[in-house]
Amino acid sequence: MSNSKNGKGLKGKDLITIGIFSAIYFVINFAFMLMGGIHPVLWMLMPGFIAVFAGIPFMLMAAKVQKPGAVFLMGLITALIYFATGQFTLVILISMASTCILAEVIRGMTKYDSFKGNSVSYVIFSLGMVGSPLPIWLFKADFLAQITEQGMPADYVSAVEALSSNAMLVVLFVSPIIGGIIGAFIAKALFKKHFVKAGIV
Amino acid sequence: MGVSCKKHMLKFDPRTELLFLVLANVVAFTQHSLWVEITWVVLLLLLIIACGCTKAAGRLAFAFGLCLFLQYYVFSNGPKILASSFTILVSYARKVFPCLIVGTLILQKTSVRELMAALRRCHIPQGLIIPLSVTIRYFPALKEEVGYIRDAMKLRDIHGIQKMECLLVPVMISATTTAEELSAAAVTRGIENPVHKTSMVEMKFGVQDFLCLAVGVVFCFISVTAG
Repeated sequence: MSNSKNGKGLKGKDLITIGIFSAIYFVINFAFMLMGGIHPVLWMLMPGFIAVFAGIPFMLMAAKVQKPGAVFLMGLITALIYFATGQFTLVILISMASTCILAEVIRGMTKYDSFKGNSVSYVIFSLGMVGSPLPIWLFKADFLAQITEQGMPADYVSAVEALSSNAMLVVLFVSPIIGGIIGAFIAKALFKKHFVKAGIV
Repeated sequence: MGVSCKKHMLKFDPRTELLFLVLANVVAFTQHSLWVEITWVVLLLLLIIACGCTKAAGRLAFAFGLCLFLQYYVFSNGPKILASSFTILVSYARKVFPCLIVGTLILQKTSVRELMAALRRCHIPQGLIIPLSVTIRYFPALKEEVGYIRDAMKLRDIHGIQKMECLLVPVMISATTTAEELSAAAVTRGIENPVHKTSMVEMKFGVQDFLCLAVGVVFCFISVTAG
């Protein structure tokens, strides 16, 4: 795109584009976050689910705004809105900040316009949501003590304990990677089928 | 807190509300005692009643009571499957209640314009304020859009996996056009002007702000030390 050449910083138009696609990303994210409340297993697979479906807004934004800072702002806005609703712990804040910065670096190295570079950065960006269920492992003892104290039935506690095995930790990290790759390819297919024809990319 | 705000229809400085959001978050994640939690929720509910959100306060109070009832009565006596499926949801919902209450207050009593002016006063960079305000304002538009697309899909009888594509593609295309139109309008109105922006919104900390913040901070301190 030509506007990546004139001016490095984000202009008004880029900022508005980022804002709009962040809204769509947030809605998709939130829908799966709610689903994650139904059962702990869904919560652990949530980063993967989000990665599959949020690829389209992310890749479209990446195609529209080929400048540094776009991905970071998207993550920051998501974090801020979640912060306002009280769903953000320090763990997810750290995981999201670090993955967003890493995703920015990857985009910077691949000059912002290659599909491969954007996909890799999307996969990394998706990994940021891992921080949501991660406290289960990080504060395992605390967490189990807390829910026992809250009067949870013993078999529920043991179910959570079984879920927080190391194998599930691997699943937690692998699911957004696989989901991210699928999401990127879905986005690519839709780009080819619709968006290029419509002339918006 | 509610006692100190006897005046009807209290109005807070947006910055106070944002600070309250931070306080609510701190309390939510530091306290472990049920009574601290209940007191905090009741105080916040009184606060938003004083600000005029009576209906919302009623609904929130009902929801909070329902959560407590579920957690302490139904889950321990009802079927196990119910408990294991919904415990996380309910305890999570309970944790976010204070933030939800403050969030309701901000949503109902503070316009996006006031919020932006407040953020600008806090020296948040323009590069974050613009996309954030666009995001917040785009949610209702998105909801409307999805409603229309749903109706159209019903008419054409689209089912299954195709539904995903038929929903996402129009949303994306309309988002792109909106972005373009909106930025054309915003650039015309001088969004790229680097000069410090002026605002019609007047902002001043009043007595009620200081009082409520003081109570909030004291409460925060109690919950951190006692929890």
